[in-house]
Amino acid sequence: MEAMRHSSTFLRPPADAAASSFYALVVLNQRLPRFAPVLWSHARLRVFADGGANRVYDGMPELFPEVDPMEIRHSYFRTKFGFGFLSYHGLISVLYVKNKATYYVSGGANLRWYKPDIIRGDMDSIRPEVKEFYINLGVPIDDLSNDQDTTDLHKCVAHICESMDELDKSNLCILVAGALGGRFDHEAGNINVLYKFSNIRIVLLSNDCLIQLLPKTHCHEIHIQSLAEGPHCGLVPIGAPSTSTTTTGLQWDLTDTGMSFGSLISTSNIVLAEKITVKSDTDLLWTISIKKGI
Amino acid sequence: MEAMRHASTFLRFPAPPDISSPSYALVVLNQRLPRFAPVLWSHAKLRVFADGGANRVYDGMPNLFPEIDPMEVRHRYKPDIIRGDMDSIRPEVKEFYVNMGVKVEDVSYDQDTTDLHKCVNYVCDSMDELAKSNLTEATYSSQFCILIAGALGGRFDHEAGNINVLYKFSNIRIILLSDDCLIQLLPKTHCHEIHIQSSVEGPHCGLVPIGAPSASTTTTGLQWDLIDTGMSFGGLISTSNIVREDRITVKSDTDLLWTISIKKDF
Repeated sequence: MEAMRHSSTFLRPPADAAASSFYALVVLNQRLPRFAPVLWSHARLRVFADGGANRVYDGMPELFPEVDPMEIRHSYFRTKFGFGFLSYHGLISVLYVKNKATYYVSGGANLRWYKPDIIRGDMDSIRPEVKEFYINLGVPIDDLSNDQDTTDLHKCVAHICESMDELDKSNLCILVAGALGGRFDHEAGNINVLYKFSNIRIVLLSNDCLIQLLPKTHCHEIHIQSLAEGPHCGLVPIGAPSTSTTTTGLQWDLTDTGMSFGSLISTSNIVLAEKITVKSDTDLLWTISIKKGI
Repeated sequence: MEAMRHASTFLRFPAPPDISSPSYALVVLNQRLPRFAPVLWSHAKLRVFADGGANRVYDGMPNLFPEIDPMEVRHRYKPDIIRGDMDSIRPEVKEFYVNMGVKVEDVSYDQDTTDLHKCVNYVCDSMDELAKSNLTEATYSSQFCILIAGALGGRFDHEAGNINVLYKFSNIRIILLSDDCLIQLLPKTHCHEIHIQSSVEGPHCGLVPIGAPSASTTTTGLQWDLIDTGMSFGGLISTSNIVREDRITVKSDTDLLWTISIKKDF
């Protein structure tokens, strides 16, 4: 059985070398995670799902309180302004330029702007002034309110998959910000997108944790980014019970153990090793906490 | 198949005593206190703080009554017990409740069950005693209902663990509550009638087969009713549905989670 390798490198500042993963970012209509800028810095494609536009419009300036909000929203000032993410011994430092002086940044920093490639969805949550702002920036708006059968996230994931050729799609990883919290039926619908697109790497993110699917078709190696995630973790058999799951690297490892709702599920577990392995007869959700200090 | 009746009367200020309403217990978990926590409190005969839930009431309840002295609010919202691992409750909060004579039960020796599971066990034992002394003839399952505040949000493994408590105690009515919505289990052993309290809940709702797929579910009263429809993760699950009628019925071959939004403005 082929092994699938996982690593939350999107929680760390981008390295100098070209990333092997092609990251896309979808922003949903929940509070923007505090580490949204680092996700943005990895993404080559950024999509706002309807009210996700409000969240970036309101929330991104709050992450940079000393900077004029409009300068963060616009890409117009990019030549005079920079936001850099530099890594010093693993700490994320945000550097920005005052007084519009040109700033030269060394060490592989990436400069990014908070204007999306597209806004897509039902358009029943995006505020009129926010929509107008992004239209004026030339952002395409895809109103799909005619399609009531799929969620906004599903529409965004479908768009990303259609936008990519097969070569890039094999390296594709879709990061979904604001995927958890709020209404539970929305959260369940977001989790269901992981199952419906089980051949695409999709990571659901909130301020507190991430969730990703570990398909039963592969055994899994999870390389823990211990500066950014852990130690709390879990494996959850959503949708169907597991007769046999085996793990290594956890405080409470499973050894050919059955899991199901109504019985044992692995929650409040702890990562002990830097490499976790998981093998199961059913699709599982892997979840790990995100450190407060990033 | 026997029908099970549901009504979120715990979201409305208490009406005169109604023999058909269950007795309520309240467990407060370690997430932000819902803004309607006082109305839940007013229904509960038993109130339990699960470890850091004590911090949430200590900090959060005074915020809901800004015109009243915080200490007076904290004295008013005094629990019957605080129970759990005791690794989240702040020392000054613990001391405050101990000084008020609240029993604090450290059950950290038990690493196999969550704080919520420990509190539900306690509530079941206590409500049994209360019911015996009341000499009611109600059946066990309709006798009481446990309301869990702060059950959703935060870490997903905690949320999944809380949902699992619904499945483990499937013969007890337990309602998970957050600011935005509630979740409850509809066991496959019964067909269900849900009486919508439209001044406080809805219209957004859903039915989710979390633990196992459903080969056949049938509903009435929803915008998108299911008619002998299969549901599963990877396929169809009922989310972003809308309640159209005051009475919803659900019948399924598998345990389902029912979820409905809570109105912002009550």
